[in-house]
Amino acid sequence: MIELVQSLSSGVLLGLLYGIVALSFVVIYRASRVVNLAQGEVVMVGAFLAWMAASSFGLPLYLAIPAALAMSACFGVIIERFVFRPLTGQPIFAVVMASIGLIILLRGATMVIWGPATRPFPQVFPLGAIEIGPILLNTALLIGGVITIICAAGLNWFFMRTDAGLRLAAVAEDHTTALSMGISVKKSAIIAWVLGTTLATVSAIIMLSGSVLGVTAAEIGFRALPVALLGGMESVRGAVIAGVLVGMAEALASTYLDPLTNGALSQIFPFILIILVLLIRPQGLFGWKIIERI
Amino acid sequence: MLPSGIIFKSYAAEEAFLVTRPQKLVFALFIVALFLFPMVGSTYLVGTVSVMMITMIAVLGLQITVGMAGQINLGQSAFVGVGAYVTAAMAVNYELPFWLAIPIGGLTAGLTSILFGLPAARIKGFYLALTTVAAQVMFPLAISRLPQSWFGGSNGMSMPSMELFGYEIWGQTGLYLVNLCFLIVFTTLAFNLQRSRVGRAFIAIRENDVVAPVMGINLVKYKILAFFIGAVFAGISGGLYAYYVTYVTAEQFTLWLSVIYLGMLLIGGMTSPLGAIFGVIIITFLQETTHEIGGYLSGRISFVDESVLFPATNILLGAVIIAVLIFEPHGMVRRWRIAKAAYRIWPNPHG
Repeated sequence: MIELVQSLSSGVLLGLLYGIVALSFVVIYRASRVVNLAQGEVVMVGAFLAWMAASSFGLPLYLAIPAALAMSACFGVIIERFVFRPLTGQPIFAVVMASIGLIILLRGATMVIWGPATRPFPQVFPLGAIEIGPILLNTALLIGGVITIICAAGLNWFFMRTDAGLRLAAVAEDHTTALSMGISVKKSAIIAWVLGTTLATVSAIIMLSGSVLGVTAAEIGFRALPVALLGGMESVRGAVIAGVLVGMAEALASTYLDPLTNGALSQIFPFILIILVLLIRPQGLFGWKIIERI
Repeated sequence: MLPSGIIFKSYAAEEAFLVTRPQKLVFALFIVALFLFPMVGSTYLVGTVSVMMITMIAVLGLQITVGMAGQINLGQSAFVGVGAYVTAAMAVNYELPFWLAIPIGGLTAGLTSILFGLPAARIKGFYLALTTVAAQVMFPLAISRLPQSWFGGSNGMSMPSMELFGYEIWGQTGLYLVNLCFLIVFTTLAFNLQRSRVGRAFIAIRENDVVAPVMGINLVKYKILAFFIGAVFAGISGGLYAYYVTYVTAEQFTLWLSVIYLGMLLIGGMTSPLGAIFGVIIITFLQETTHEIGGYLSGRISFVDESVLFPATNILLGAVIIAVLIFEPHGMVRRWRIAKAAYRIWPNPHG
C-alpha cells in the first residue's frame, strides 16, 4: 500500500514536470498555431542561459533567474522574428518542418557556444526530500509542481478571462479570420513565443536544479510532446492534467511492470496509453474538436 | 517544360520521363558512367557515394510517406534499424544470402510500420506523427530486451560479407556496385509509384484528406500503405547499411537520424523522388565540405577541432533547412526545373 502511494505521489510530481513542458508547447500552439517540435531544444537553451547567468556571470540566484528569464524571452522573440514570422500563412506542414530545422540548428549552436561537456547546474531549490508520514517527496520537484500549478492557473485565467488571451485564442483557431477581426497575428505570435520560451526556462530550472546540465536535457521535449497531445494542444489545464496522468502511469509501470520486463515498459507505457486515448478521443482529452468543411 | 516539337498521341507517352532520343542516350550514358565510377574514383570517394546511395533509398521511402502521402514520419531511422537487424539476423542465424536477407529485412520493416500506421484509422494529421516517435523510442528498447539469440541484445551483431554465386563481394567497389543496383531498382519503383493509381491516391490524401475519401479513396488503407511502402524502402536501406558497416548496433538508428533524413528531403524538395536524391547529395556535399574546410582550419586556428566541427555542420544544416523553407518551399527540385526550362528556351527569353 505504502509502495503504491509512494510511487503514485512521485509519479504526480514527475507528471507535473512533464506538465510544465507540455504547457510551453500548448502556449505556443494556442497563440500561433505552431507545433514546435524543437521545444526540447528550447528547454535546453533556457537551461544553458540560466547556467550562464548563474555561473559565467556570477550573479546571485535572485538576480540570475530573472536575468535568465529575460534572456530566454529575447531568445523567443528572435526565433519568432527570424524563423516563424517569414512562414506566416504557409501550410502547417512547412511550419512543423521549420521546427525540425530548428532542432538541428539549436543543437549545433549549443554545442559550439557552450561545448558538449556536461556541467553542474546551480542548485535553485533545496535538495533532499520532505517526509509526509512514510512517504518521501522530492523537494525540488514538489516546489516545481506548485510553480507548475500556479503557472497553469495564471495562464488559464489569461487565456479564458482576459481580452488579450481571447484574442490569442482567435488566432489559434484561424489566422485569416483573426486578421479580419482586427487582431494582430504578429503581436500574438510574439506573445506566444515569449511565454513559451520563458515557461521552457522555468521548466529547465525545475528539472535541473542541483543536477547535471548537458545536451541530453533536450530529450524532455519528445517526452512531453505526447503529454501535450494527450491533453489537447489547445488546452492549458489539459496539459497539466495529462502530465499528472502520464506521470502516474509511468510510475506505476516502473514499480509493477518493469521487474517483469527488465525495465523496458515504463518508457513505452506512456506512449501506449496515449495512443489508446487518442483512438477514442482524437483531439486529446480537452482539445478543441475542429469541424472540417470542404 | 518540354523540348520543342513534341506532340503526344497517348497518355502513356505524356507520362514518360524520357521523351526524345538524345534524352534517352544521355540517360543511358549516365547509368553506364555510374557503373564505371569506381574505376576512376578514390576508395574514399567510392565509399562516400556508397553511403549516399544507401541513404538515398531511405530518403526515397520517406518521400513516399511524407512527400507523396503527406503523413509526417519522425521514425524513419527506426524502420531502417529494423531492416538492418532483421537482415543481420537472417544472414547470421539462418545463413541466407544477401539477396534474400535484404528483401526479408525490408518486408519486416514494412510490416512493423503497419503496426504504427494502424492508429491512422482514427487519428489524423499531426497527431499521427506521435506514433512514429513511439516507434523511434521503442526500437532500441525492443532490440536490447529481445532474446540475445535473436538480435544479439545490446551487444549488436557482426555481419558476414556478401556472397554471389560462391564469390565473395569484396571491398568498396563490390559494395558500391551492389548498392547501385538496389538504388536503381528502388528509384525506378519510386518514380513509377508517383504516376500509378496508388501514387495518385497518395497525392490526393496529401492535398486534402477530407476531400480524398469523398472521391472514393479509402483513407485508412492508403495511409497505412504509405507507411508500409516508405518503411520497406527504409528496411532495404537498413539491410544494405548493415552489410556496408559490417556491425549493427541500436545506437546507429536514432531520432536524430530521422530528423536529418527529413531535413534532406526538405532541402531537395518533397514533391518528387528527385528531391530525395538531390537532398542527399546536397547535404552530403555540405558535410564533406565543412569537414574539409574544418580540417584545413584546425591546423591553423587553435580552438577549431572535432568537437566544434560536427556541431558547426549542424548549424549550417539547420540554417539551410529554414532558409529553404522560407525562400524556396518546393526545394531544389523546383530550382532544377527552372534551370532546365531556362536552358531549353535559351537564347529566346520567352520561348
